[in-house]
Amino acid sequence: MPPPAAPSDVDLILAVLERDDRRAFEQLVDRHQSQVRTVLRRLTRGDMALSDDLAQETFVLAWRNLSRFRFEAKFSTWLYRIAFNAWRSEARKKREVLLDIDPDEAPPPGSDIAVEMPDVASRIDLERAMATLSDGERAALAACYYADLSHEEAAAALGVPLGTVKTHILRAKAKLKVRLTGKETA
Amino acid sequence: MNDLNHLLREDARQPIADNGFSARVMTALPARAVAKRKWLTPALVFGSAALGSVLALALAPAGTSLMQGFADLVQLHPGTPAAITALGMAVALMISAIVFAVETE
Repeated sequence: MPPPAAPSDVDLILAVLERDDRRAFEQLVDRHQSQVRTVLRRLTRGDMALSDDLAQETFVLAWRNLSRFRFEAKFSTWLYRIAFNAWRSEARKKREVLLDIDPDEAPPPGSDIAVEMPDVASRIDLERAMATLSDGERAALAACYYADLSHEEAAAALGVPLGTVKTHILRAKAKLKVRLTGKETA
Repeated sequence: MNDLNHLLREDARQPIADNGFSARVMTALPARAVAKRKWLTPALVFGSAALGSVLALALAPAGTSLMQGFADLVQLHPGTPAAITALGMAVALMISAIVFAVETE
């Protein structure tokens, strides 16, 4: 006899809303904690303690506001939106978070071409390189690559125009290539 | 060769071990009131209004009719027992309607 299928996120959310089922919410946390913490680690430049605090805050806020989840988007998308807001609130306590484009910054050279990386580029190198990006660039990369949101969803989650997200992605990738290969693109 | 997109996607896919994180979250969750059934508040208000109306009619002085009460109100005689009964019922029903409207938002 095959094992019963795992309940979907929607099933678990309904169990929480209708029966105050904490076990169901625990399953949601267990299912999404890794991705949410990964996104927040990249946003916080690898600060594991801070990112875990923000991830915990994200899930507590999700628990409190679960009745406002409209089932129109994926639960994970809704979670990431909460996580981005938590990160921005935390960052604002320390300094201004700049998610807009710096108009003085020149467009990245060669940002429209496929970027090839040497095999030696490790995840640690990538983490260090990402830490050098601006808040907006890091947030856009985290949204589109780590949270796997579309550009449109990322723009909505970050509260910036779609064009800004696209520009941040291009600039971030160009900068990462330079940091990881040490070579400017022609 | 490894391109940047691949590197980013690979990095994103690296799982982070739970290491007690989920348990910490569950400990930090505040107590959560069980979601009220949506029909409960309007039902209570409407029931109370209906009961109040029945009592008002039952306890009104003999010979008092609702129609007479509304007629007194129209003729600007709000102090008569019939007018007070009619006014009380109208207010109770209006409150019920407002609660219904707010709850169904």
